[in-house]
Amino acid sequence: MKPILIRAALLILILTAAAGLAGAQDTTRRTVTADEVNAIAKQMYCPVCENIPLDVCGTAACAQWRDEIRIQLESGSTPDEIIRDFVARYGDRVVGTPQDPTLRALSLVTPWIAAGLVVALALYLLLRWWRQRPALATAAGATQPADDDYRARLERDLQARR
Amino acid sequence: MLSEIGLITLLLSFVAAVYAVAVAAYGGRVHSERLILSARNAALSTFPLLLVATGALLIALMTQQYQNSYVWSVSDPNTPPFYRFTALWGSQKGSLLFWCFLMSAFAAGALVINWRSHRRLMPYVIAYSMATLAFFVGLVLFYENPFERWWLVGGEAVRTVLIPDGAVAPSAARLAETANGLNPLLRHFGMIIHPPMLYLGFVGFVIPFAFAMAALASGDLSTNWIKATRRWTLIAWLFLSLGLLLGGRWAYDVLGWGGYWGWDPVENAAFLPWLIGTAFLHSVMIQEKRGMLKVWNMFLVLGTFSAVIFGTFATRSGLIDSVHSFARSEIGFPMFFFWAAVTVISVGLLLWRWNRGELKDDHPFVNILSRESLFVLNNVVFVLLFVAIFWGSFGAPVISEIVMNENITLGRDYFLQVTPPLFVALYILMGIAPLSAWGATSLRRLGRSLIVPLVLAAVFVAFIVIVGHTAEPAALFGYGIVSLAGFVALYETYRGVVARQRSLGENPLRALAALFTRSRRRYGGYVVHLGITVIGIGVIGSTVFQQETQRTLAVGDSLEFGGYTMRYDGFTNAIADDGRRMEIADITLLRDGRELARLRPRHDIYPTMPMTIAGAYSTLENDFYVLLVGWEANNANSATFKVYINPLINLVWWGGLILILGTLIGTWPTETVPAHLREAAPARSRARASA
Amino acid sequence: MTDLDLSFEPENTASKPRRGLSLGSIVLIAGILLTAAVFGIALARQNQTQPQSGPAPDFTLTTLDGDTIRLSDLRGKVVVINFWASWCGPCRVEAPALQKVYERYRDRGVEFLGVAWTDTERGARAFIAEFNQTYPNGLDLGTKLAELYRIQGVPETFIVNQNGQIVQFIMQPITEQSLSAILDRVLANGA
Repeated sequence: MKPILIRAALLILILTAAAGLAGAQDTTRRTVTADEVNAIAKQMYCPVCENIPLDVCGTAACAQWRDEIRIQLESGSTPDEIIRDFVARYGDRVVGTPQDPTLRALSLVTPWIAAGLVVALALYLLLRWWRQRPALATAAGATQPADDDYRARLERDLQARR
Repeated sequence: MLSEIGLITLLLSFVAAVYAVAVAAYGGRVHSERLILSARNAALSTFPLLLVATGALLIALMTQQYQNSYVWSVSDPNTPPFYRFTALWGSQKGSLLFWCFLMSAFAAGALVINWRSHRRLMPYVIAYSMATLAFFVGLVLFYENPFERWWLVGGEAVRTVLIPDGAVAPSAARLAETANGLNPLLRHFGMIIHPPMLYLGFVGFVIPFAFAMAALASGDLSTNWIKATRRWTLIAWLFLSLGLLLGGRWAYDVLGWGGYWGWDPVENAAFLPWLIGTAFLHSVMIQEKRGMLKVWNMFLVLGTFSAVIFGTFATRSGLIDSVHSFARSEIGFPMFFFWAAVTVISVGLLLWRWNRGELKDDHPFVNILSRESLFVLNNVVFVLLFVAIFWGSFGAPVISEIVMNENITLGRDYFLQVTPPLFVALYILMGIAPLSAWGATSLRRLGRSLIVPLVLAAVFVAFIVIVGHTAEPAALFGYGIVSLAGFVALYETYRGVVARQRSLGENPLRALAALFTRSRRRYGGYVVHLGITVIGIGVIGSTVFQQETQRTLAVGDSLEFGGYTMRYDGFTNAIADDGRRMEIADITLLRDGRELARLRPRHDIYPTMPMTIAGAYSTLENDFYVLLVGWEANNANSATFKVYINPLINLVWWGGLILILGTLIGTWPTETVPAHLREAAPARSRARASA
Repeated sequence: MTDLDLSFEPENTASKPRRGLSLGSIVLIAGILLTAAVFGIALARQNQTQPQSGPAPDFTLTTLDGDTIRLSDLRGKVVVINFWASWCGPCRVEAPALQKVYERYRDRGVEFLGVAWTDTERGARAFIAEFNQTYPNGLDLGTKLAELYRIQGVPETFIVNQNGQIVQFIMQPITEQSLSAILDRVLANGA
């Protein structure tokens, strides 16, 4: 990046930060829209509704939780803070993926480890399979073209009247 | 009377199934034709017996026999006849009986259709399918009996299967008064057909399972078993796909959260067998064509059935909580042990045969770039999807609870992080594999056949950018990959038509029809791919570009959202025929000042629970989907609405229809061998007929 | 297609039967057994219901007034553990009765502990103020207590006797009459 661009970027960064700060100062109790509340509630699950995100759960408990989110937003908490607060109060089950580092790792890393194992196993089997080739190559060589008679015929037909 | 009929037929079907297992196994061992026929007749008799039992329960429901405690618990005098019928599968007991009935129907179908063609396998097919049926009928009979009745014994109300001493029937009026009524969630047209389809999909996999086990047990491991199995798998797969689609539609209409797939454990439990079943439908072709992957195919068939039983167990035992699941019940442990036994025995048997070297492949693996290897990759991706979804729905929550004593939820977040790369890989393979050849294929040839579909996909993406005013790179990439798979299917079909036109001089329509009749499986498969493509485009659109907002409107106020204007006109209260109270908001939907529709999102208030029913306006472009989420208590001068714009969501349903059409084309039995093959190459006709 | 003969001998395609199972097979079988064991344990745990007898699981409750109360420190007293939530209708019904019974029995060796389940602090405080509840009430942080007592919803009430044994579990809103009767009985037994 050219220096002038970096300077411009820095300027913009400072300006936005300042604007944000100013905004935060004069609206310590700002009005919060339902959409802001829902955006946070969407990421959460309440133990009363089974597997239904908090933003669409219709129970009284969930309405109260959404209200709590609104109040916390009004008093200036950030979405992250609110989610952390809810996790501290009600446990990791209230979020779509756990916040606790161990549980988070367990949840998110395991499928990829499993994926790695499956891929490694498949590769190993493929390679072993392939190695057997020379022994039987002569037999396979004879049958190979005939196996794909459909495709061969299709190509032949397509060439036919060109 | 009805209860007695139901109980007796249920008991008889249990006895018949157990008898069939014992006699078929013994008859198979001693090669007694007489015994095997007797076992077959016993197995066939379970179908009429369970038909009568199910019919008895249905009549009890329709004629409001509230002394039957199942009827009492799922209907009341206000329930309309239509929902009385669907109440048959409205709760655990009835739905288990219905499930048994469907399973016996499948078993009878397989025994009749495949009796001659797969005679050697039949004793074992009878034994394994009837063992499964006996287990489920046993569950109904001993744990979840839908023919229990209410009795008064010394003033106490009790429900029992057998009539207790000194019992008096309670008064009909009192019973009718206290009856529960159907769970409101189940009062939807999708509920007429969604559970039966899903059950058909689930129980249908018992036939492939029985065939696979029969092959393993008898040692007849030729490709013979796989022919019957493929078609039965395809039938079960069709119903399962239909069940999944209808389930999504039901959730979209009834659950009121603006979507069709919530990655709920119960939804996933039905999706898991679909994944392995689909993997099998692909890899089975390798075995048919090349005699390869025998062990793997067997493993997939057994795995699909194991996943079916696991899904049933997980949703019916209370292992997981979900809106879709049945209440916690006694049958948890029996189902668990059955699942464990099925899995261990089948895999054990497979490994035993394998270790004896009886499942050697006919052909070696020849080339890294061939259709075989692409299919193997496809299977790897399906397995990975299975692992990721299984882990998220069951593995992680259960392990975290047992090991760390912490309840966790893995929701949309998790699944949207883990699954998209795998789906992308699947669609890429869907685009390439149909162009590759068995044995070996060259990169050059593959690249050449990809040019046209790639150009078409690029044009499609450009079209999306211009029409949809979007430049979200991930979504555009997704659209490109997904549409490529569809264009390959279309282009291949087009090339087939052109080939026929050139070589035979047929007109395009005739050529197309001929293609489909000659190679049902190939072109049926392309249609399925096209359906999956359309679904994929709908899923990307409705997931990535879904917009939502929530606003409180006073009467007469309007809300502008997603190019629509929605005006709140007023509020209506009503009482429906079945006694529920409805709170309805009247809404007018406009676009550019023109009235499009009047929507009536509402709250249905049942004695047990409230329900939020959306109002929706559908176009091919998007759905305007509005929920009434709150209103002022007394006069509803203002009400709160949640509005969703769900782009392209209808493509999901349309894609589903295409998929079903394609599967039907691929499954439809072909008895005739094409004329030119009959003359030209009789030796090859068998392979061709199933190509 | 017309394979009508009934020969059941397995085809002898086995080239050289191996003895025992291969490593892969053993790993696979072990994996399946392990998975089954995990789900079996999970099911067994899931099927457990609220304890109706035996020693009451011990816990520490931080009340909304900031005190910490340990259940085992209340040995010698009869303890009524009531799970509730401010959003729960039936809990509102039983709240006045609970307070009334508490006032009547507090000097006779009975302690009440209110546990607010999945409740917000604001909601819980408002509820306590509304019903003038004077017995110790606290939030169930992390829903740990709910898991300990395996409650399925609210209101649910457990009565623990002087020796720390659960003597009664009530899965519905309590009434003044029923709770008094139970407490009288437990007090009489303990005396």
